[in-house]
Amino acid sequence: MTEKYRRVSGDAVEYEVFARKTRGEPLHQVGSVVAPDDDLAAAYARATYDEERWIEMTIVRKDHVIALWSPGE
Amino acid sequence: MSISGVVLSIADNKQMLGLRYAEWATRAPSLEADIAAAAMGLDDLGHSRVLYGCLEPLGDDPRGPERESDPASLSALPYFDEPWSEWAQFVAANAILDTAFTVMIEACVNGNVEVLQHRLRKMLSEERYHFLHGRSWLRSGIEKGPLDEAWRQALEWFGPPDGDAAALHEEGKLAMGPSELKSRLEERLETKAPPMELSWKGWDGKRRRTKPGAIDARTFGMLRGLEEKRFAPAAKAQD
Repeated sequence: MTEKYRRVSGDAVEYEVFARKTRGEPLHQVGSVVAPDDDLAAAYARATYDEERWIEMTIVRKDHVIALWSPGE
Repeated sequence: MSISGVVLSIADNKQMLGLRYAEWATRAPSLEADIAAAAMGLDDLGHSRVLYGCLEPLGDDPRGPERESDPASLSALPYFDEPWSEWAQFVAANAILDTAFTVMIEACVNGNVEVLQHRLRKMLSEERYHFLHGRSWLRSGIEKGPLDEAWRQALEWFGPPDGDAAALHEEGKLAMGPSELKSRLEERLETKAPPMELSWKGWDGKRRRTKPGAIDARTFGMLRGLEEKRFAPAAKAQD
């Protein structure tokens, strides 16, 4: 049944999920989701990380993040 | 039918939609889709509770005692009568039927019935994620069969052109009548309904469907708490 749907292993990309609970705190990473497009990533992020009372949640495609340095560099 | 009948039908359908979503919480194509199925199921079961809670303040609760024993007294669509065996059925329900229910809720929120204006508004923001999920999966392409069936049942559920939804629209209780509901559904899904002829011959205005039938016995038993009794410990003998 699910063999026909290979989206996660095919076109899907990783999105980082950021959220905060109060205006005073910065957005911080709460996890990630894998999805083939922005809409589905938004739906997955909300479903997966909505257990806390966030006032803001955003998602960013991981391949759009520009790393300045990484662990071990 | 009064506005209460429409609200009861949204509630019954959302209850069944929530249950059918939940059945896919470990069978969807990815872990994320599993979690989304569970979360959307919880949302819709919660929405059904809010909708049932509106019936008393509306002052015209159409629920009778037959709902305790007769599954055919519930006003859910034939689409929910049996568990879904294919992911395409899930996607078609998620994209077409869930959005059809949301469009009807919009019509209630923008109508002139105060209790519905206030209590149903929050559902619209929660439904946004159901919509994104359904539309995205729909765009990926699914089989035509479940899709056409979901469209047919959604358009039937809006009711005949001269039926109750049209009358409620004229009274201002619903901000949209059947033709506006259809247009709004097409607008949201950015697609036209497939060409089809609707026959109102077998239309059951109370259940908002044309096909006879009812939900399966196991699901009905679960709704009534009867399934739970199968797992309850035997009652202790009185001393």
